[in-house]
Amino acid sequence: MNNSMAGAKDNTLTLKGCNYLRQRLVLSTLSGKPVRIKEIRSQDDEPGLREFEVNLIRLLDKITNGSRIEVSETGTSLYYQPGLLHGGTLDHDCCKLKAIGYYLEVLVALGPFCKKALHITLKGVTNNQNDPSVDAFLSGAIPVLKKFLIVDDGLELKITKRGMAPEGGGEVVFKCPVRRQLKPIQLMDQGKVKRIRGVVYAVRVSPVISNRLVEAAKGVFLQFIPDVYIYTDHHRGNKSGKSPGFGITVVAETTTGVYYTAEAVSNPAGCGRLPSVPEEVGKEAAFLLLEEVYRGGCVDSTFQSFAALFMTMATKDISKCIMGPLSPYTIQFLRHLRVFFGHTFRLESHKKSEEEEELNTGANKVLVTCLGVGFMNLSKRVA
Amino acid sequence: MPEMAEDDVLQKKKSHRDRHSGRKAEKKKAKSVHVQELTDRQKNPKAFTFNSAVRAERRFRRKQDIETKKQHIPLVDRTPVEPPPVIVAVVGPPKVGKTTLIQCLIKTFTRQPMTSLKGPITLVSGKKRRITLMECCNDINSMIDIAKIADLVLLLVDASFGFEMEIFEFLNICQVHGMPRVMGVLTHLDMLKNNKQLKKTKKTLKHRFWTEVYAGAKLFYLSGLLHGEYLRNEVKNLGRFISIMKFRPLVWRTTHPYIVADRLEDLTPPELIRQNPKVDRTVSLYGFVRGMALNKMSSIHIPGCGDLKIHDVSHLPDPCPLPDKLKKRSLVEKEKLIYAPFSGVGGIVYDKDAVYVELGGSHSHAHRETSDSRPEKALVSSLLDTQETLDVKMAQSELQLFTGTAPIVASDVAEKSVGLSEELISDSGRIRRRVVFPESSSNEDKHEETIENDSDEENLSDKSEDELESDSDSYIDSIAGSNSHDEVDTKRKSDTSDTKYRDALHIAEDCNQDKTNLYGKNEIKKRKLKSTVAEAEYKLLNVMDVDVDNSGNKEDICEEHGSVHDDVSSDEEPAKKLKLTTDVKENQCESYSYHDTGTDQDRQIHGKVSDLLLRLEMNKKHTENKKEDISHVKDAKTESVALKQEDQDTSLSHKWKCEPTFTLNNFSSDESCSDEEVDENSVKSLKEGDNELLSSNERESDRDSDTAQDVDSDTSGISDEEGPEESAVQWKTNLALKAADAFLERQSTTQNLWKLVYGNYNKFEREETEEELGSDSDENKDVGGLFQVVRRKQQHQQEERDAMNGVDCARFAVKLVRDWTDCKVREVIRDCFVTGKWKESEDAAELLQLDDDSSEEVFGDFEDLETGEKHTSKKENVKGTLEEGNCKEMTKDELQEKKRKLKEKFDAEYDDKDGGKTYYDELKQEVDQQAQLNRNEFEGLDDSIRIQLEGFRPGMYVRVEVEEVPCEIITNFDPTYPLILGGLLAGEENVGFVQVRIKKHRWYKKILKTRDPLIISLGWRRFQTLPIYSKLEDNLRHRMLKYTPEHVTCMAHFWGPITPQNTGFLAVQDVATRQPDFRIAATGSVVELDKSTQIMKKLKLIGSPFKIYKKTAFIRDMFSSTLEVAKFEGAKLRTVSGIRGQIKKAVSKPEGAFRATFEDKILLSDIVFCRTWYRVEVPKLYNPLTSLLLPAEQKNQWRGMKTVGQLKREKGMRSDPAMDSLYTPIERQPKVFQPLVIPRTLQKELPYKDKPKNRTRNGKKILESGRIAVIREPHEQRVASLMKMLKVSYSHKQKQQKAATKKRMEEHKKELEKEEIRKEKRHKELRKQVFRTLSKIDMKNKTKHKI
Repeated sequence: MNNSMAGAKDNTLTLKGCNYLRQRLVLSTLSGKPVRIKEIRSQDDEPGLREFEVNLIRLLDKITNGSRIEVSETGTSLYYQPGLLHGGTLDHDCCKLKAIGYYLEVLVALGPFCKKALHITLKGVTNNQNDPSVDAFLSGAIPVLKKFLIVDDGLELKITKRGMAPEGGGEVVFKCPVRRQLKPIQLMDQGKVKRIRGVVYAVRVSPVISNRLVEAAKGVFLQFIPDVYIYTDHHRGNKSGKSPGFGITVVAETTTGVYYTAEAVSNPAGCGRLPSVPEEVGKEAAFLLLEEVYRGGCVDSTFQSFAALFMTMATKDISKCIMGPLSPYTIQFLRHLRVFFGHTFRLESHKKSEEEEELNTGANKVLVTCLGVGFMNLSKRVA
Repeated sequence: MPEMAEDDVLQKKKSHRDRHSGRKAEKKKAKSVHVQELTDRQKNPKAFTFNSAVRAERRFRRKQDIETKKQHIPLVDRTPVEPPPVIVAVVGPPKVGKTTLIQCLIKTFTRQPMTSLKGPITLVSGKKRRITLMECCNDINSMIDIAKIADLVLLLVDASFGFEMEIFEFLNICQVHGMPRVMGVLTHLDMLKNNKQLKKTKKTLKHRFWTEVYAGAKLFYLSGLLHGEYLRNEVKNLGRFISIMKFRPLVWRTTHPYIVADRLEDLTPPELIRQNPKVDRTVSLYGFVRGMALNKMSSIHIPGCGDLKIHDVSHLPDPCPLPDKLKKRSLVEKEKLIYAPFSGVGGIVYDKDAVYVELGGSHSHAHRETSDSRPEKALVSSLLDTQETLDVKMAQSELQLFTGTAPIVASDVAEKSVGLSEELISDSGRIRRRVVFPESSSNEDKHEETIENDSDEENLSDKSEDELESDSDSYIDSIAGSNSHDEVDTKRKSDTSDTKYRDALHIAEDCNQDKTNLYGKNEIKKRKLKSTVAEAEYKLLNVMDVDVDNSGNKEDICEEHGSVHDDVSSDEEPAKKLKLTTDVKENQCESYSYHDTGTDQDRQIHGKVSDLLLRLEMNKKHTENKKEDISHVKDAKTESVALKQEDQDTSLSHKWKCEPTFTLNNFSSDESCSDEEVDENSVKSLKEGDNELLSSNERESDRDSDTAQDVDSDTSGISDEEGPEESAVQWKTNLALKAADAFLERQSTTQNLWKLVYGNYNKFEREETEEELGSDSDENKDVGGLFQVVRRKQQHQQEERDAMNGVDCARFAVKLVRDWTDCKVREVIRDCFVTGKWKESEDAAELLQLDDDSSEEVFGDFEDLETGEKHTSKKENVKGTLEEGNCKEMTKDELQEKKRKLKEKFDAEYDDKDGGKTYYDELKQEVDQQAQLNRNEFEGLDDSIRIQLEGFRPGMYVRVEVEEVPCEIITNFDPTYPLILGGLLAGEENVGFVQVRIKKHRWYKKILKTRDPLIISLGWRRFQTLPIYSKLEDNLRHRMLKYTPEHVTCMAHFWGPITPQNTGFLAVQDVATRQPDFRIAATGSVVELDKSTQIMKKLKLIGSPFKIYKKTAFIRDMFSSTLEVAKFEGAKLRTVSGIRGQIKKAVSKPEGAFRATFEDKILLSDIVFCRTWYRVEVPKLYNPLTSLLLPAEQKNQWRGMKTVGQLKREKGMRSDPAMDSLYTPIERQPKVFQPLVIPRTLQKELPYKDKPKNRTRNGKKILESGRIAVIREPHEQRVASLMKMLKVSYSHKQKQQKAATKKRMEEHKKELEKEEIRKEKRHKELRKQVFRTLSKIDMKNKTKHKI
């Protein structure tokens, strides 16, 4: 009986397609269930796993101990048998096809359940147009995580170098403390947006551009609220990465400590499109943030899945959270939670109270309720 | 002695009684008046003044210390509302009276005797408590398993014998696995005849028990047997203790679900068993869920069998429920239920798929039997036969039929049981009922339902014919008409409709897959319709067909059709929309009727597009309504519009009504197919639609207008009262935004959300079953249908593929960004900002105003109680009118409520209730709130949904189906051994290296050796593994130990199941043999889990120098190759004499030799060694104990891996030790040192004091050399010889004299002795005489006295 399963029966889950690979690997690691993913781009011209996915698997291999990963010859099939999360001080070069946010998402989800506090330096692209940027994580995901960790002893995300899309060269340090169990939360009040902050970054381009961005974004926001401040973060030399570009990340903070984020990034150099106009980028970010405010909820739409995950991982108690409309990613995540943990959420459309009835608070909200699975961090050493 | 007795009677006098009233009593009272004594503080207040700040501080600290010591970390109370029965385990060595005690307890609780006790026995012990009695056999496996599940342990001790080892072993097992409540019971007390000894025994046993459990632990005495039973009173008292016992939550059990199986059924098809008797079995196990909620997905471990995966869990009605009402003080006889299937008690058991009748045992059953009629008996017996045809996948709703009827009567069986009962009743009048085959039970269910609906419909339509003849509604007519057709007719009609559809299919070529999809659906449905002859769906189609016939423009309709669906599927193409509107103008009613029914179905099929569709529809309708004049709609086509809107309404409303069942089906049975659902839904909707039609025309018309209004209001926001053309354009522009919002809109209702997230998930599974279903009914399958099915499948695959390999991104992409600079758009989120409007309870201005109002109110309005006058302030009236004027009606209640809230807020902020809240109080409150929330959140929800959300909560009686169970569990089943299903949490089914803190038990005689097999009980599991002991050193290195140290803990690593940290475990060396001593070898707890280990063993490499320079030496024999040396370059070296050094570089000549440097010159005889660490691999052996699988007589004979020692002993092998490791007597040669030589030059320079003094040596020499022989003269010689002779003679004389004296002395001594003897003799004589005379005198005196 030297195989890793205690039982005679194998409980490998078989899934198809490369989409939601991160969700699957994260949940597999947490639930301890091996997963077999088949038909990865099997009909594609370039079948099999892409470079960034292989890179992701490498990262998982780094932070776990005893994982078994088997990729078929064509790369269209992947078997992942999770080990125990180890953490510790690590270094990882991310693939340039995806932003660091792509990898950070996995790390944020797994960070609190490691054996040793995670301290990882990620190198690669900090901002691109597709993935949530590091800035979005800093302002959106970290507060969500903080709510579950209660005491943020050593939770930190630091951008030491910035690197724009094609060539990257950015560097991010992520530190996360470990927990044995997570506490349930009840987030029932989203509050009202009290201030809007933002960061404009421009690397290897004229610093004037950042001012133009700020102007455009601020112009939109000031129609709603006077407390708007957007920082400019111009990097030079070594810290500015390898590619030129600029972008903006804006954050709206509510009275109850909910953060909505939105961002817009210039077209990367050499992508074939026309170079972006700073004003348009600024305006786009502003509009997207307002769109996010329209969706509302106690969690930013990009990071809904984190809230869902940590609610699931909490002790055997009820957690409640009001969210904006569930994003497709979150919906898939909820389905995956059901597959891996047999865990179902109670989803209700949130009814406004009588007082709120006449207020214009944007889209319909969703009340997400669940009973935690009573997850225990099996890796952490006890005294 | 009769006299004495009489005396006693006389002496018994009335005892004194104090007077309580009357004069005497008063007097006495007056005498002893109780005076309140002054306390010390009152007597001498000065002594208690505050005099020392230091002492006061200390006092305060002490108080705080004591208070804080009492505090425990508050835990969330997760005890279920209706807990499972309490497990009472009766444990003790054999022949101590366990069975007798259980029998007595059962008798007291249920008033019925039980002869054979096997397995757990559940009974109702009180109004709020059920207990499960279990006996633990005398086997260490059972003892371990029982200790893991027992809530209360009755530990039986034979008092006449004293404690036996089993008692202590069991107590130790309990301590490791979380201490349950333990109650000692002393039996055989009647064997102790001596009262004093009895008391003493009781006392000693009690105190020993207390040291083991806790001081004051309850110890029960059962004084003896009467007619083979314990005394009734004592047992009753014990029973009372059991039923009021409170329990502490234990960590392991509150975090893990578990079931103690009280029933076991083999579900394997007998044919398979016949083919291969050793085939893996499918088994269903029954029991109450305990501990935590059981998740369907989780794995389980059966101790003694192994890890298994749950195949299915279902919830069954409680076989032993608590009494419903609590009116009376005690239980009624009927409520004293007992349930013990293994022992053959429990009456009829209703299972998911069968009914089981236990014959004999229960008296209630006997009673029932007499009341039973004959056919039911036959039914029961036939049901018993049906055990083999078990359809596992049956709808759960079937189960819930039973929940209401807790004490089910056999007559219910006839009605409700699924299998054969229907055959019996089918004679009673239901004509179209089908013969039921066990393999198509799910199908048949559906049929039944539809048939019922049909019959209802018929009734309804008949009624409608009778009563509503005057009604002009053509819809009803059409239904009635269709119903009045005979079956043949309808069949023909369906055929025609089929052809029509096919025509439509051909004509509408441009329609895309979505449309064909829909057609496919219809086709499938039609096939089904044919097979089931008369289904409601069918009628719906018929109605439609009739309408179609009436209008006559088939082709138009078909085109219309196509365009509509095309439209729906291909997201909003404005051109098509326009075409659609024109089409609609041409012939409206038909399109509507079809369209609506179509969308009705569509909605049920495609949950995703439903709302979007609805919206579009509304829009279309609106535009059309605008175009048509209202009068036209009302007079000429009222029926159709009515029909349309009715349809829509019903479809809308019933959709929601049907939703719960839909979801329920989705989750309860994975194999429930979508077709079925659609059918059901549509049937239901139709049925209810009929009802509504029947109910009133008025309502219908109302609704018409309502919907019209709704439509108007809905679109008014968009079109802004513009002309029809313009509105159309406007609608088009907003379309994009609408599309963007569609996703959000879909989440606007709970049902939709649920369906969106979890409903569609089952889509593919349903698809598969659908296919299967299709293949089942292949008689009716035509080519077209087949073709469409395939196409649908392909389409789904395409969809799947698209989703499968999409871009993995967490962002919620915005499809179309609104222009937020626009004023109107901005308004949508205006109140999301602090600058926007606030809730009334939060708005600062409102609150301030409220505050003012309330203060006025307090002083403004009061009633004078003395005069009865009522003073009301004028202000209020004024204000009231003002408020009315403002249309802001604030009722008094509302105001009060707001005031209360405000006050609460204020209190929370400023009040300092009794010294303020401590952190601990806050924590406690938080925990309480959480517990409250946990309890209330899912309360009142339907069980089927609750199970989805939280699993099978503790207290539920469930049936767990497990596949691929070893056949031995059935063939070697013995109910006396506990069968436990221990739930495993996520990750616990895996195996890894477990690091534990371990301590050899102080009562275990031997020490444990590294790598010797050890049986460990950890979590639910018992397994054999090979631990490696180690010591955690200060630098966190694990140094391997060969043996466990005595009396201290050490670490151990083994390959075993991943189990949460801090879980306790125990180890035994052997479960098979009965060693005479204490069997528990070690105990400990889990510290860490990992997939690799770092245990180090100390390693000393020894080498010897072969060439030594000053501080450099060449050393060989330490390594065998240059490569090895290279690896160790720079390593530290040491010689035996303590000289430290370093490895420098390998040298070529003798292989493995190297150059090393030392801090000093070493000797050639020195041994050089290098201290290193060697990693020790932990052997990967995890061997679960399969004690349950052994035959009954060998259950406690499980044998695993043996230790090397055991094997050698068995085989009589002796290992020859290495010669150099043998101990031989040490012989030490005395060390001979070389003389100290001081060089002459040095001697010269030394001071005289330190110079070696050579003179003594010289002097000795002189003395010896100077000795001269003495030669005497003859005279002197003679003198000397004479002297010698004299000396000799003298000494001879002396000797002789001495001997003579000695002889004389001896003779004298003899003489004296003789004399002494003689003397003694004389004395004796004399004394004899004296005593004789004395006695004579005495005798004389005595005789004198006597006389």
